[in-house]
Order: sequence, then C-alpha cells, then structure tokens
Amino acid sequence: MTIDISVLIGGEAGQGIQTVGLLMTRTCHRAGLYVMAVNDFESRIRGGHSFIQLRISDRPVQGPTRKLHMVAALDERTYGLHQSELTEGGLVLIPKDHADTMTQHHRCKTVDFEGVAKKAGSSILANTVAAGVCLSLLGAPSDLFENVLKSTFNQLEEERLAQNIQAARYGYTAVEDETFRWSWRWAMASPKGRLIDGAQAAAFGALAGDCRFSAFYPMSPATGIIQHLVDMAQTVPLVIEQAEDEIAAVNMIIGASFAGVRSMTATSGGGFSLMTEGLGLAAITETPIVIVNAQRPGPATGLPTRTAQADLQFVIHASQDEFPRFVFAPGTPFEAFSVTARAFELSERFQVPVIILMDQYLSDSLFVAEESFEAPETVATYTAADDPEAPSGYRRYALTDSGISPRALPCKGSTLVKVCSDEHDEEGHITEDADIRDAMVTKRFAKLSAMRKEIRPPEVIHADSEILLICWGSMRGAMTEAVRRLRAEGLSCGGVHIVDMWPFPDAAVGEILGKAGKFFVVEQNRSAQLGQLIRQQTGYQYTDAVLKYNGRPMCAGEITDTIKTKLR
Amino acid sequence: MVSTKDYHSDYPNHWCPGCGNFGILDAMKSALAGLDLPPEKVLIVSGIGQAAKTPHFLQCNYFHSLHGRALPIATGAKIANHLMTVLVSTGDGDCYGEGGNHFMHAIRRNIDVTVLAHNNRVYGLTKGQASPTSMDGMQTKMQPGGVIANPFNPLAAALSLGAGFVARGFSGEGGQLSSLIQAGIRHRGFALIDILQPCVSFNRVNTHKWYKDRIAPIEENHDETDLIAALRLALGTDDRIPTGIYHRRESPSYTDRIGKLNDKALTDHRYRPELLKALLTDGYL
Ligand SMILES: Cc1ncc(C[n+]2csc(CCOP(=O)(O)OP(=O)(O)O)c2C)c(N)n1
Ligand code: SF4
Ligand SMILES: [Mg+2]
Repeated sequence: MTIDISVLIGGEAGQGIQTVGLLMTRTCHRAGLYVMAVNDFESRIRGGHSFIQLRISDRPVQGPTRKLHMVAALDERTYGLHQSELTEGGLVLIPKDHADTMTQHHRCKTVDFEGVAKKAGSSILANTVAAGVCLSLLGAPSDLFENVLKSTFNQLEEERLAQNIQAARYGYTAVEDETFRWSWRWAMASPKGRLIDGAQAAAFGALAGDCRFSAFYPMSPATGIIQHLVDMAQTVPLVIEQAEDEIAAVNMIIGASFAGVRSMTATSGGGFSLMTEGLGLAAITETPIVIVNAQRPGPATGLPTRTAQADLQFVIHASQDEFPRFVFAPGTPFEAFSVTARAFELSERFQVPVIILMDQYLSDSLFVAEESFEAPETVATYTAADDPEAPSGYRRYALTDSGISPRALPCKGSTLVKVCSDEHDEEGHITEDADIRDAMVTKRFAKLSAMRKEIRPPEVIHADSEILLICWGSMRGAMTEAVRRLRAEGLSCGGVHIVDMWPFPDAAVGEILGKAGKFFVVEQNRSAQLGQLIRQQTGYQYTDAVLKYNGRPMCAGEITDTIKTKLR
Repeated sequence: MVSTKDYHSDYPNHWCPGCGNFGILDAMKSALAGLDLPPEKVLIVSGIGQAAKTPHFLQCNYFHSLHGRALPIATGAKIANHLMTVLVSTGDGDCYGEGGNHFMHAIRRNIDVTVLAHNNRVYGLTKGQASPTSMDGMQTKMQPGGVIANPFNPLAAALSLGAGFVARGFSGEGGQLSSLIQAGIRHRGFALIDILQPCVSFNRVNTHKWYKDRIAPIEENHDETDLIAALRLALGTDDRIPTGIYHRRESPSYTDRIGKLNDKALTDHRYRPELLKALLTDGYL
C-alpha cells in the first residue's frame, strides 16, 4: 500500500495552529513515516487566517501537494478558503454545521473543538483536540500521540500536561463514530532521519562553520535562523546581538570578523538592501562575512510571511562596482547545513563575502532529513601568524598571484593591521594612484579562478532526456517530484538543481543543457531570473518558464500542469 | 616606555595648514604614549571624513571604514576581542549625522570604546556643507540662505542616553585634550569626547578666535557624578563653552555583562566538535 495523504489544519492566528501541526508531524515521524509540514501564516499575531499543511507518506516527500484529503477547520473561514482543494471524498471537520456542506463532493463532520476543549479544562486546548481528532481518523495509536505530548510539553507543569492529554483523548473519542476512507494501519517503525526545518539546519551549519558572532535586526522570515542560533548559544561560545538596524548588523559582523571571529547575519530582502553598503565594505577590505538572505516577496515590505525566489539577480550584483563573491542557494535542510558550514570556510579562505539564499518555505517548513548531520572534527583557520622578527614588514594587502594576502589579526601580535575602505596600497593606506588601483582590482579578481574550482556542478537526474526542468534553491523537491510524475506519464524528462549559483557553473550547466532538446526553468519569481542568468552565462535560451510569484510555494502538480500545457 | 615617536607615521598628511585636526593628532599621540600603550595593543576605528583619516597619520592597528559606520564596526571588534583598546576617530557629520542612530545605540550598550568626535561644525571633506552641529543661520555654498535647523547638542544627547563618560575638549588646548583622552581610555564603558575644532577652510563662523573667546575649563567644584549638573553645563544658556569632564560614572560595560567573555576573549575560544555533536544529538525538533 502507498500512503500519500495531505491534511490541512487551519484557523486564526493565535489558535495554536502551528503547535497542532508540530504535534502531528512529530507523531507521524515517530511512527516511522515520512512527513513534511508547510506553514502558512499572515503577518499578524491574532485573527486572520493561518494554516499548516501536512503531507504524510510511507515514501520520501519533498514538497507540498494541492490536493487535500482532510481539512480540520478551527474556524469557518478555513472551510471557505480551502474547500476547493479537497479531493473527491475528502473529509472536513468543522465546528458548526455549514449550510452548503451537503451538496459538496466531500464529507463534512461537525466537531465542536472548543466545546470539547472546555471539557478538558480550557478552550485554548482546541488545537490539541484537533490534533487528536485528525490523528484518530488517520488511524494513529492514541498512546503514540500521548507520548509525543509528554515529550513536547515536558517542561510544562503537571496540570497543563494532564489537560493536554485529556484534550487529546476527548479528541479521539469525538470522532469514534466517524471513519476516514484513507486511514491505514499504523505499523510502527523506527523514525526516518531527523525532523528539521531549513532555519535550524542553517543554524547547525553555522556552528559547524565555527560561527562565533552574529548580529541581526529582526525580519521575517530570517528570525527562525537567529532564534535557533540564540537557543544553541546557551551551550557554545557564540555571542548574538540585536543591532539597531541592518546597517549596524552587517558592520558589526565585519568588525568582529576583522578582529578574528567568524561572523554572520541573517535577514530578508529589505534588510539585505540596507546591508549592500556593508557588503561592499567587506569586499574592498577583504573581510570574510556570511549573510543569509531568507527571501520573501517584495519589493519593499511585500508579503512579510510568504515565500519567493526573486533576489537572485539582486544579490549577485548588490553593491556599487564589482568584486568576487560566492552565492549559494540550498534546496533542502541538509544542503542548508552543509552549504552554511562551507560558506564560513570559503569566506575565510578567500576573504570574500558569501551570501546564502534561503526563503520562507525552506526556512519555516519541517522536513524529514535522512542525511547525517556531522560535526566536523576540526575547523581550518586561514589567518597569518605574527612575525615578531619583522613586524613592520607586514602588509595586509600584499599583492600575490592568488590574490589572497596574508590576513593577520589586530592586537594579536606585534604586526599592525591596517584596513581601509578607500582604495588602498599594499600596506592599507589610502591611494589615488592609478597603477595601484589597477593592481588592487586585479588582485581581488585574481581570486576568481580558484573560487570557480570550489563551485560544485548542479545535480542532474535523467540527464539524457529530451526535456529538462532546471531550478535552484528550495524548488528542488517540487521539481524532482514533477520529473518523476512526468516520466510516469511517458515523457522523456529530467531535472537539474543548482545550489552553487555564483560564480556561475557556466561550463557544467552549458554541457548539461547543450544535450537537451528543450529546457524549462522552474522558479518563484516573475522574470525567470535563473533563465536570464543561464542565457547570460551560457548563451542557451530556455524554452519556457514555470513561474510562480504569489508568495505560496510551488507544488509538483503545478509544474506538471504548466509543462503539459506548454508542450501541447 | 612607549614614546610619541612610536606613534609616528610617515604617511603624507594633506590636512590644510592650520587645521584643528593637527592639535587633536598630537594630543592622541601624547595620550597613548603617556598611558604606556604600545601601538600593537591599540585599534582605531574610523568612518569617513577628514577626521576619519586620522589613523593613517598614526602608527597603530586601524579600520578606516564607511561614512557613519565606525561605531558598529568598533562594537563588533570589541565584542570579538574585548582585550583591545578601541578608539573611534570620527567627525560631526560621521558620528552625529550619517551615524546618528549608531551613536544612540552604542551609548545604550555602554560598549567600552573611546569616541573622539572631531567637531568642526561643518563637512570638511566634501567641501563645506552644513553639518548637524552647524549653527542655525550659518551660510554655506549649499545653504546660501543659512542653515534652517537647531544644532545637535552631542553632550546633552549623550548624557540623556546614559553615557558614563562625557567630555568636551578643544583642539587648541593640547594638554587638557591629552588628559581627557587618557581619562576616556581609562573609563570602562562608552566614553564620548566631543572635540571642538576650527576648520580654517570652510567654517568662517566658529574660528580659532571665536572658540578662544568662549571656552573655559569647567569649575573645580563641579561634581562629575551629578548627571543633572552635567546636563545643566551641556545645555548652558550663556555664551561660555565649558571644557573638561562633564560627567563620569562607571557601570559594567557591554562585554562585562556577557558571561562568556569573563574568562577569555571570543577570539581565544577554539572550535569544540563535542559541543555541536551534543546539540546535533538531542537539540533537534
Ligand atoms: C554613504 C556616503 N555618503 C556621503 C559620503 C560623502 N562624505 C564623505 S565625508 C562626508 C562628511 C564629512 O563630514 P564630517 O564627518 O564632519 O568630517 P570632516 O570632514 O568635517 O572631518 C560626506 C558627506 C560618503 N563618503 N559616503
Ligand atoms: S577642510 Fe577643514 S577640517 Fe578639513 S583639513 Fe581643511 S581645515 Fe581641516
Ligand atoms: Mg566635520
């Protein structure tokens, strides 16, 4: 039997929707199932509409689907908004009878979540009731759910834990007389991998890169990463400071990195805009920094809590003038982990800024990651040792073939470290000399050839297909599933996913695309930014683009539908 | 013994002859040498402007950064290695204009840096536009009808934000200025020294003579710990400009309050895989 069930729990902000989602996700994970949970919420603390959508399967799942099998509506709006997504025969759980429910192609079952919750002690337990109701209908053993409650709420006082367990039990009994046509027998297996969101994975990656200082200014959807770092900082030598603005945040990490600790900041596009000046400072002073841009739709404030991939061209070019930089776009939590650790190493080795493009969908969604997250045994350092014999001979910007000059740290020995944001000579003094200017630009760009060697080629599945789908960052899961489905329908279709975006892997991408008859870019922006980049860097013109920019994550079904239409 | 010669730099100086910056530069050298601080123990962070070029004319570690951004750079550097002596060389435009927000918050954090604000009440490097401290009505090429704004009062602002060390110096009073700088460096926590400085090229209002006619050392009976008395001096309604220490009161600095930094600097910690391994084992959802 193949399980592939989607459940949506929706309600107002403040009703604990995310908690229900988390509890159910954990329960599924513990039973050895694959599961993912996508959070969808508005930029408000109370009211409005928010939901979490779970996809549960006995096979790996990497992206959401549009078709829902079950909807738990904690308020009436949820039903109105999501009834069209229900598949034939789906089940809706709703607090009150709904006039137009009878004529629908799906079933409605009335469950008074709040009333039941009150019996357990308080109406705020309605979310736990809902979790109990859904899990009961799916066939999950109640003791499994109770164990999850116990480990989730183990810090709560006895009484509140007991109330939650009572609420869960009442939830189970409230639907005793109801059946869910896709329920299955839960054969318990050991959990698959770890349950993790992209934000936490990136935070682990920062520690694996020996990050010791982070400054930030709060901005959704980047706060998740910082929150995880703050939690982890309780046990590691990591200092985190909330800056007065993003300008201060980026300059603080530049100052800390200059003084000798690996440093990062995380923000979204608006904050990144304010950081562009500092990005240039890091570049001309050759100070290593790592910036995570968790993308959301813009411009300006845009859609604060939603997802986008529209900053690619921006971050590749951000700042006046030109300089080498790395840009990475992880597609899964494991990639977020490994790329972030790598970012710190590369940034220090090449003395260049590194930008990591994440987005709301990757940061805030829960995934099952089966890869192993390993702490490296050692972390290399690339700072120059002090030469007490000839301290005055030290030149911070000494011209070298590689373009990389020895980087000493201030106040760590007898050499003096002189750093300057004006164009400077080898010693670090301001210069207006035309030849030195040429030499310094050449020196900074000399790093590029070795930087290119660090760039990993895209991952390709079914390379020798007639049609290729090509995507970057968080579109990996949806694209991979779309390729599988299109192939199942007899199409000769493959997929390409790019993580290492800049310096662009020209040769590798050119070679892959050169063999394909047609290729389609799949992106969450309006103007096919990857498509443009491919054309610029390889000369290949994409056949067409599958684009989505309404702030909601793209599903495999949307990709397959669009591709089929475009091929017709 | 460290001497002022140890701070000598051969880098050619292009400040205008007669500029107040020279007096400040000399006072810095004598203050640093007087404290027996060797150049390799000192970091000077500066923004952009004539004032911000100062570290090039000294022998020391420096980070000559962006216009307005010296304080966040200095904050990050101090957090990374709080054992460094960190000075900030900045101008009135740099510190109170472009960097005004950072000024406010660096004081709130009480980060242990000594800010030398070369206050010539004009933008020198960009050739004479009004600055936040230019007097109301001052005419410049860009403000031909005169400035239409009240001048920013850095001392009163710093005091009201809780700065623990607030002083005013004058570039023409080198001896006093040098001891103010020493006191500022010795102070544990944020220290502001606003240094009045003539700009012979662009400020025709606040000339050397104009200052000479107005400055006077703070009276000896002034109680440095009395915030209200300091504010009264800073807000002074008559023509006199008191120089010296307006206010001095120590409280734990930002880095004092971070437990992790008590035993050693962040730069001296080493990567320990076992800490991450422990987090990876039980610290996940
Ligand atoms: C972002 C930015 N804006 C503007 C400038 C141009 N600029 C350089 S110095 C300066 C003002 C300097 O005034 P002040 O800080 O008072 O220093 P002074 O030259 O008077 O010592 C300005 C506006 C710049 N370098 N960077
Ligand atoms: S322009 Fe003014 S501040 Fe600048 S060097 Fe000349 S006199 Fe000094
Ligand atoms: Mg000035």
